[in-house]
Amino acid sequence: MNFSLTVLIWIVVYPIIAFSIGVLLGGYGRKFTARVQRRIGPPWIQPFFDVVKLMSKSTNISHGYMHDAAMMMLIGGTVMTLYFVPVPGFAYFSQFGDFLVIAYLILVPSLGMALGVGETANPNGSIGISRALQMMVGYEMPFVLTFIGMAMLNGTTSMYELILRQQAGGIATWGIVTNPLLGIAALISLQGMMNEKPFEVIVAPHEIATGPMTEMGGKYLGMMFIQHLIAIVVEMTIYINLFLGGARNWLELIVKLFAVWTLILSVHGVYGRFRTDDAIRFLWRVPLPLAAVGVFGIMLGIG
Amino acid sequence: MEQRMTQRSAWDAVLARLRKRSLFMLHYCTGCGAIELPPTMTSRFDMERLGIMPMVTPRQADILLITGYLSVKTLKRVVLIYEQMQAPKYVVGFGSCTINGGMYWNSYATMKSLDQYVPVELYLAGCMPRPEAIITGFSELIDRIGRGEANSWKDYYENYEFYKKNQLHLFGEIETYQDIPADAQKFGITGVRA
Repeated sequence: MNFSLTVLIWIVVYPIIAFSIGVLLGGYGRKFTARVQRRIGPPWIQPFFDVVKLMSKSTNISHGYMHDAAMMMLIGGTVMTLYFVPVPGFAYFSQFGDFLVIAYLILVPSLGMALGVGETANPNGSIGISRALQMMVGYEMPFVLTFIGMAMLNGTTSMYELILRQQAGGIATWGIVTNPLLGIAALISLQGMMNEKPFEVIVAPHEIATGPMTEMGGKYLGMMFIQHLIAIVVEMTIYINLFLGGARNWLELIVKLFAVWTLILSVHGVYGRFRTDDAIRFLWRVPLPLAAVGVFGIMLGIG
Repeated sequence: MEQRMTQRSAWDAVLARLRKRSLFMLHYCTGCGAIELPPTMTSRFDMERLGIMPMVTPRQADILLITGYLSVKTLKRVVLIYEQMQAPKYVVGFGSCTINGGMYWNSYATMKSLDQYVPVELYLAGCMPRPEAIITGFSELIDRIGRGEANSWKDYYENYEFYKKNQLHLFGEIETYQDIPADAQKFGITGVRA
């Protein structure tokens, strides 16, 4: 795989594709939640309308240099993570960075958000950020542990290699089939990573006024919406690549994205919200031991 | 009505049609009438199908919904909130108390007419307006935004002296920490004095 014009085109087009799929997923999520609550719900491309509306606001309050730079860090970090996640047709960067790089890069948006929200000096924002960092401790540990298990099993940390192996062996070699404990642990921590109920402690509108987004208006909020829409695609694609055999073409990827998203939303639709300490306690009590048992199983050669 | 459409106005027309599909609402419910909002938002009437979503801070909101009467003390907060919102912004007065004082006409502590202090885009008359009336009112607002006619927020900058005079008459003094003349400059409105 050499650097070519195709790669250059992918670099430009890939975030746009991810955003478009994110809009569909986001709209589907709101429609699905509305149906659970017996409402009609907004149109499917409602997130697109929201983003256009926010980006076309006439005034945008900036709280200083860091507030502006943080928005770049937020979107830049997410798009950077996106490049390292292999998808059908584009796996150029995954030869330079394996899962460990992704595990680092996926933290950049949260840190960027922390810096930006710090400058707005809003107490609700600070509480939201401290919760975001606490939650990170909660979901990162089981998620990274599941990947360590998969890496030990296959003898590689490259996500691309992992996909190739799973695709060569068919469904029987998918991570969720060979190691169901790791798959379930990763799915639960994915729920926390995507900040959906019952782990929706960061953006708790009735409690801390949407946390980090409190002081964001206009284009700033619009950028956070764009980041969120790309991030849901990134996070679920990582899960699909690890445990559901990746995808051979984009149709397969989209079908799998909608399947995982539906699973996450059906939990999101019927649950209330944990307190922060309860959320972390749950993440450390259920998915973390599950993942640990799975890893021990692999070490003993059972899994 | 043959109007020559320039590129700019065509873009604005497209943008207005997209913008009307998404409205974030901040509801200020220190008066009465908050009880009419849950049915409007939830499964019975479902406001979200029109693209209207409740939001929790003034920075994020497009619509400021004022329900019921406002005492002098709460009106001051409304002015502060209104100035923190990002343009374009729309104030919707809900209930007859915001229109003319309603049943609190003789009260010494409440204000009579909301549009003396902040520009109001739309009034929902009644005591109380039912959720049907709220949905009808918001549909009217959406149509107006789509036609590009919902420009009452510009009036705050153009006639700032009028609003400021009324605010000062009621409050004695008010400090909102918002640079209105500088904001007006962005919209090409000059000659605004603080």
